[in-house]
Amino acid sequence: MSRLYDTVEPAVIDEEMLQKAVEEQGPKDEAGRIAKQEGIDFADVLSLRLDFKNILKIDNLWRFTSLTKLQMDNNIIEKIEGMDALVNLVWLDLSFNNIEVIEGLDKLTKIRDLTLYNNKISSIENMDALVDLHVLSVGNNELDQLENLIYLRRFKQLKTLNLSGNPFCDDPNFKHYVIAYLPTLQFLDYRLIDENTRAAANEQYTYPIQQLEHNEEQARKRIEDQEAKEAEFSLHKGAYVENLNGSALFDSMFADDTEGPKLALLPGVDELLTAYKEKYTAICQQIFEYGLKEHQRRGDEVSGFQTAVDEAKEDNRNMGMRKINDFNDYRRKLFTELAQSSDQAHIDTSLEQHNKEIDKLWDSLMALEMQLVDQLEDTIKEFERNMADMVSTFVENVQALISQCRDLENTHNEKLLEVAIVTLEKMVKNELDDELPDDVRMLFVDKDTITNAVGASHDLHLLKIDNKEDDIITRANNWLAALMERVHNEEEVKRNRHRVSEINNFIDHLREEVETFEIQAA
Amino acid sequence: MTILPGGVLLGHSLPLQQPEFAVNTKLVRLGKMDENAENNPEQANNKAEDAEEAEGELSVDDLRAELEKIDVQVPEVEISEVHLQQEDMYSEFPVSYKENTNKEKLILAYAENFRRQYVHLYRDRKLLFLNPVNECGMEKFVSTTIRPTLLPFQELYSYENCAEFVADYLEFQALDPPVDLPNQLVSPTTALKRQKGNSFDFATLLCSMLLGAGYDAYCVSGYATREICLMDQTRDVCPLMKKKGELKSEEKKKEVRKYQVKPPKDLRSKFDLKMQARREAEEEAKAAERRREEEARISELEKPKPDALHGLRIHCWVLVLSGKREVPDSFFIEPLTGNTYPTEDDKFLGIESVWNHQNYWVNMQDCSNGCKDLSFDLGDSAKWEYLLHSSEKPSLEIPDVEAELYEGLDDDEEEQEDEKHLEMPPSWVHPILVTPKEYETRCPLGKKTILYKKARLEKFARYLLKDGMITKLSAYDDYELKNLVSAKEWFVNRQDKLELRVHNHRTGLITEYMLQGRLDCMKEHTYKSGSPGPETDRTMVFYDKARVDGLVKREETPTEMTEHFKDRDDFLYYRHVLFSKRMKKFGASTDANHRPILKITERFHRNREKPASEDVSECVFHIAEDRIQLTFHCEDNRVTASTREFIKPPNANDKSQVITMTPDMTSTFQVDTTKKSPKNLYIYNMLVSLVEAEDQSVQAIRASEEEIKECLLERIREETVSELSISVYDTERNEKAKQHRKELERQQLEEKLRRQEQELDYLAPFLAQMGDPDKIARQQAFKLKEDCLADLKQRLIDKANLIQSRFEKETQELQKRQQWYQQNQVSMTKEDEEEYLAYCSEAMFRIHILELRLNRHKEMAPHKYMALEQKIRTDGRLSDYF
Repeated sequence: MSRLYDTVEPAVIDEEMLQKAVEEQGPKDEAGRIAKQEGIDFADVLSLRLDFKNILKIDNLWRFTSLTKLQMDNNIIEKIEGMDALVNLVWLDLSFNNIEVIEGLDKLTKIRDLTLYNNKISSIENMDALVDLHVLSVGNNELDQLENLIYLRRFKQLKTLNLSGNPFCDDPNFKHYVIAYLPTLQFLDYRLIDENTRAAANEQYTYPIQQLEHNEEQARKRIEDQEAKEAEFSLHKGAYVENLNGSALFDSMFADDTEGPKLALLPGVDELLTAYKEKYTAICQQIFEYGLKEHQRRGDEVSGFQTAVDEAKEDNRNMGMRKINDFNDYRRKLFTELAQSSDQAHIDTSLEQHNKEIDKLWDSLMALEMQLVDQLEDTIKEFERNMADMVSTFVENVQALISQCRDLENTHNEKLLEVAIVTLEKMVKNELDDELPDDVRMLFVDKDTITNAVGASHDLHLLKIDNKEDDIITRANNWLAALMERVHNEEEVKRNRHRVSEINNFIDHLREEVETFEIQAA
Repeated sequence: MTILPGGVLLGHSLPLQQPEFAVNTKLVRLGKMDENAENNPEQANNKAEDAEEAEGELSVDDLRAELEKIDVQVPEVEISEVHLQQEDMYSEFPVSYKENTNKEKLILAYAENFRRQYVHLYRDRKLLFLNPVNECGMEKFVSTTIRPTLLPFQELYSYENCAEFVADYLEFQALDPPVDLPNQLVSPTTALKRQKGNSFDFATLLCSMLLGAGYDAYCVSGYATREICLMDQTRDVCPLMKKKGELKSEEKKKEVRKYQVKPPKDLRSKFDLKMQARREAEEEAKAAERRREEEARISELEKPKPDALHGLRIHCWVLVLSGKREVPDSFFIEPLTGNTYPTEDDKFLGIESVWNHQNYWVNMQDCSNGCKDLSFDLGDSAKWEYLLHSSEKPSLEIPDVEAELYEGLDDDEEEQEDEKHLEMPPSWVHPILVTPKEYETRCPLGKKTILYKKARLEKFARYLLKDGMITKLSAYDDYELKNLVSAKEWFVNRQDKLELRVHNHRTGLITEYMLQGRLDCMKEHTYKSGSPGPETDRTMVFYDKARVDGLVKREETPTEMTEHFKDRDDFLYYRHVLFSKRMKKFGASTDANHRPILKITERFHRNREKPASEDVSECVFHIAEDRIQLTFHCEDNRVTASTREFIKPPNANDKSQVITMTPDMTSTFQVDTTKKSPKNLYIYNMLVSLVEAEDQSVQAIRASEEEIKECLLERIREETVSELSISVYDTERNEKAKQHRKELERQQLEEKLRRQEQELDYLAPFLAQMGDPDKIARQQAFKLKEDCLADLKQRLIDKANLIQSRFEKETQELQKRQQWYQQNQVSMTKEDEEEYLAYCSEAMFRIHILELRLNRHKEMAPHKYMALEQKIRTDGRLSDYF
C-alpha cells in the first residue's frame, strides 16, 4: 500500500462536499449565476464527479435521483453501497479504490459503462441487474478463475471488456478463452478483436461452448415453459375457473377427507368412484370452458366500451381545440391591431368585445364538456347494465353446473351408503369374503358409526363444492364492482373535474392577459 | 380434288355442278387471255419496229430525212418507258405478288362462284369485297392478303399499341368515291412501304398484326358515319384531355359500435330545416335545368351537319372477338384513329362481310338498326354465311366430351371428310417487316397532327425535336382553334428529367413535372411565365425521400416563403417566413443583400419521447420585434396548450457576449396548475437554445433562398442546352459509343498497316545507318545497294557456315562414338550395343539432313541474292538511279 492518500485522513461524503462538487461542476457564466441564485436541486444534477477525495464510504447520495454519470475513482472505498437511489445511472466509475466484492448494484438497471479498474475484486458476481451493460473494466484486480468469466455471458450487449493485469491473464489460453466464451465482445483490453483470432478461439473451444450453449438453451426453454404455464394459469384465474380443467377439484374433495379412503376400500366402491370421478370431471371441464368463453366475451365488451368512450372523448377534444384555435387566431389578430392603434375608444370597445368573446368561449367549452358528460353517462349506464347482466348470467350458469356436481355427489353418497349398509349386514352375518384393514373394520361396529362416517365424508365434499362456488361468484362480483367503480371514477368524475379546471384556468389566463394589456395601455 | 361448293348452303334450288365448272373453265380461259393481252402490246411494238427497219433499208437518204420529220418514235418511246417503269415497279415485288398459284386460282374461282350465287340470290344487296386486284394488278382473294405477323416489339403485343402504331404509321387517303368499294387492295407490306392507304389497307395491316399477336381479329367491310370514314375527329374530345374516371372513393362505412355515444340533441327547428331543404331543392332543380339547357345548346352546336350519303359511306375496320388473349367482350377497332369502340356503337352503321386469314363470312342479319343487335357468333350459319366450310368452326360451342372420345376411332373418316373441304391458301404476302428505326419514327416524317374538338394534338418521333418533345396538346377555347387556353408538352429522354410541361395561358402559370433522378430532387415546378426570376410567385415540389432535409414543397411569393417537410428527425414539418421589403443600401453594397426577415414560424410534430408540456409545437420568431413565442403540444387529454414568450435580450445576437436574463423577460401560461413552474436555469437554457435555433433557422432560410437561385439558374442552363440522354444500349444514337467503336476500328487498321510497313521495309536498317535521309542521293543509293547486298551475302555465307559447322560437329561426335564402340566392343552388353546402333542411325540421319540443307542453301543463295538485287533496282526509293 503505497497510496498517496493513505496518509490522509479518510473523508466522508457530506453536504458540504456535495454542494461544492455540484457548484464546481455545474453551469458556468450567466447560467451559473442564475443557478447559484436559486440554488441547485440535487435531484436535477445529471453528472457528479467525486474523485481524489479520499472517500472511504459511499453515503448521502440518495437525493441524486436523476444522476446518470458518477465518478468516484481514486478514493479508498471498500464497499459498494448506498447507491440504490441512483436508478438512472448509466456511467459508473469506481476505479482505483479498495473494493473487494462486487455488490450493491441491484437497483442500477440502466448502467451501460461500469469501471472497477484497480481494485481488489476476486470474483465477478452480483451483477444480474445490469442487463444493459456495454462496457466493463475490471483490470488490475485479483481475478484468478477463468471459469468465472462465464458469468459475463448473460450480458448480451457487452462489447468492451478490460481484464488486463489480473492473475489469470498469465494463463496462455486466457485470450482465446475470453473471446470464445464471450461472442458479443468486440474489444478486449482496448484492442479490436480481429476475425482470425476469433476463429482460432472458437475452434479451440468448440466443444465446451456447444455444451454450454446447449445447457443455456435448455435452461431458457424451461423458463419459457414456466412462463407460458404461469400466463395460462393467470388467464384461467382471470376467468375464475383455474384448476377446473381436470380432476383437481375432485381430488381436493378427497384430500382432506379421512373417511373417504377407508370407504373406498369397500367392495364395489372402487367402480362407483371411477364412474363418479369421470362424470364429475366432465362437468368441471364444462365449467372451465364456459368460464373461458365468458371471460373472452367480457374482455371484448370492455374493450368495445373503452374504444367507444375514447373515440367520443377524442371527438370532443378536437372540437374544443378547434374552438380554442379559432379564438387564438382572433385574439392574435386583435392584439396586433391594437398594438398599432392609438385610439383609446377603439381599444376600449375592442377589449370589451374581446371579453365577450372570452365569455362565449367559456360557454361553448363548458357546453361541449357538459355534452360529453351526458353522452358518457348514458353509455356508462348501458355498459353497466350489460356487464351486470353478463356477470349474473355467468354466475347463474356456473351455479347450475355446480348444482349438477352436487347432485352427482348426492347420488354417489346414496350409493355409497347402500354399499356400506350391505357390507355391514354381510359383516354382521360374517359373510364377508374380503379381508378389510382394521381401521375400516372399526367403522362397522354398528350402523350409526358407518352412517356417520359416510355422512361426514359427504358433508366435507359438499363443503368443498360450496367453497368453490362461493369463490367463483365472489370474485366475479368483486371484479364487476371494481370495474364499475373505476369507470365511474375515471371516466366521469375525474375527467370532468380535470377538464373543467383546465378550461377555467385557461379562461382566467386570458382575462389576466387582457388586464395586463389594459394596464400597459393605460 | 373434289370441292364441296359453298352453293350447297347458299341456294338449294341452284344446279350445283354446272356453274362451278363453268366458272373454272372460264377462269382458266380468262387467265390465258390475260397472258395474251399482256404479251400483245409487246408483239405489236415489235411489229412496228420491224416494219420501220424494213422501210429504212428500202429507201436511202431522202426517206431518212422524211422519217426524221415524222418522228413517230417519241410516243412509242414514252410508252415503252412507262411500261418499263411499271415493269421496274413490279420487278421489285416478289413472284407471289405477281402470280397466282393454282390454289389461289382455285379459291378465286370458288369465290367467283360464291359471288354469282350471292348476286343471284340477293339482288338488292351490294357487291361483296372478295377479290380486288393487288398492287401488281393481280386479282387476290382478300383473306390471303392478310398475313398474320408478330412484330418483334414488346409494345406491339397489345391491341391498343398495335392500333395506335397503324394509325400513326400510315397516312390516310379517303375512298373516292366514298360509296364504292375500292378496286385495289395492296398488301400490308406495300402499305407499310408507301406509308399511306385507305381504310381497307389500314384494316388489313392491323388485322395481320393482331392475328399475329394472337387476337381473334377480323376485317370488317361495312358502312360507317362520315366522321369515321373521313377520320374527322374534330367533334371528339381528345383522349388525353378526358378526365380519368374519378376514383371511387370507397367511403369507409363507420362501424356502429355497441357503445357509440349518442350524438348531441339537435335543437334546431324542424320546420325551418324543412323549409330550407325545400328552398335548396328548388335551387338545385333550377341549376340542373340551366345545365341541361346549356348542354342541349352545346350539343346542338356540335352536331355534325346532315350527311347526304349517310349510311352509304363504305368503311373497313377491325373486329376483335372475345375469347382469345383474355378479351372479355368483342369490340371494334377503328384503324384510322386506333380508337376502340364497343360493338353497339352507333357510329358503325352496318356490316356487309367479315374475313380473316382463314375464311370469309357474309352478314345475313338486318343492319337497319346499326350494329347494335348483331350477333357475332360466326358459327351460326343463319346469321353469318361462310365461304369455306372450315373444319374448325369459330363457334362458341364447347367441344363435346363424347365426340372427343370417339375421335380416335373414326380418324380415317374425318380425314376423308377433311379432304373434301377447300382450304384457304397461305398468304401471298411476304412477312411484314418494320425496322426499329421505322418503328421509332412511326408517323410519316416522324410528325403527325390530329385535330380534336377544341384541341390540337401533335406527335413527334423520339429524338426528332431537339428538346425531346414527343407530344404536344394545345387546348383551345373555340372550335376554330384560335384562342389558345393551355398547352401541354410531353418530353422523353431529357437530360434534365423534364417529363411534362403545362402552360396555362389563362393564368400564365407554367408547371413542369420532372422525373426522379435530378440532383435537386425537384418533382414539380410551378411559376409565372412572366416572371421566372427568384423571389416571385412559385411552387416547387420535391421528391422528399431523396432529399436529406426531407423537403416536400416550397412555396414562394415576393414577401413570403413556406416550406413543408416530412419525416425529419427534429419533427419539423412547416416553416413559414415573412420578408419585408429590401432596404436600399447606400455606399458599398455587400454581395449578399438579403431581404430582411420579419417573422419565422416553425411547426413541429409531437415527439413522443418528451412530455407534451416540454415539446414545442409551434415556435414563432418575431425577429423584427425581438420576441420569441412558443406554443407547446397539447397533452393527450387536454384542450389547451401551454405557451411561453420570451423577449430577446438586446445583446442576444452578439456571439462574444454572454446572454443575460432577467425574470421579466419571459411570460408563460401553464396548462397544468398543479405542476411546479420550471426553474430559472431551465428557462435560461431554453432561451439560449432558442437564440441559437433562431440563428439556425435564419441560416436555413438563406440557404433555401440560395438554393432557389441556383435551381433557377440550373433550369435556365438546362433549357438552353436541352440535352437528350441516350441509352448506352442505343448503338444508333450513342455518339460516344459509336466514336469509340470507330476509333477502335481505326486503331486496329493503323496497327495492321504499321506492321505491314515494318515487315516490308528491308532497307530500314541501312537507311537508319545513313540517318534516315528524306531524299537519297545517287551516291547514297549505290552505297545502300552495296551495303544491302553485302549484308545479304554475308548472311548467306554465315548461314552456310553455320550449317557446315553443325555438320562437322555431328560427324565428329559420330566418329568419337565409333571409336569408343570399337574399343569396347568386346565388353559390351546387348543393350549398350543396341543403343549405339540406334544412335548411329540417328546421327547418320541428322548428318544427311544437314548435308541436304547445305546443298540446297548453296543452290538457293545466288537466287536470293539476285532477287534482292532485282528488288533494289525496282525499289521506289532507289529506282531513279538504276
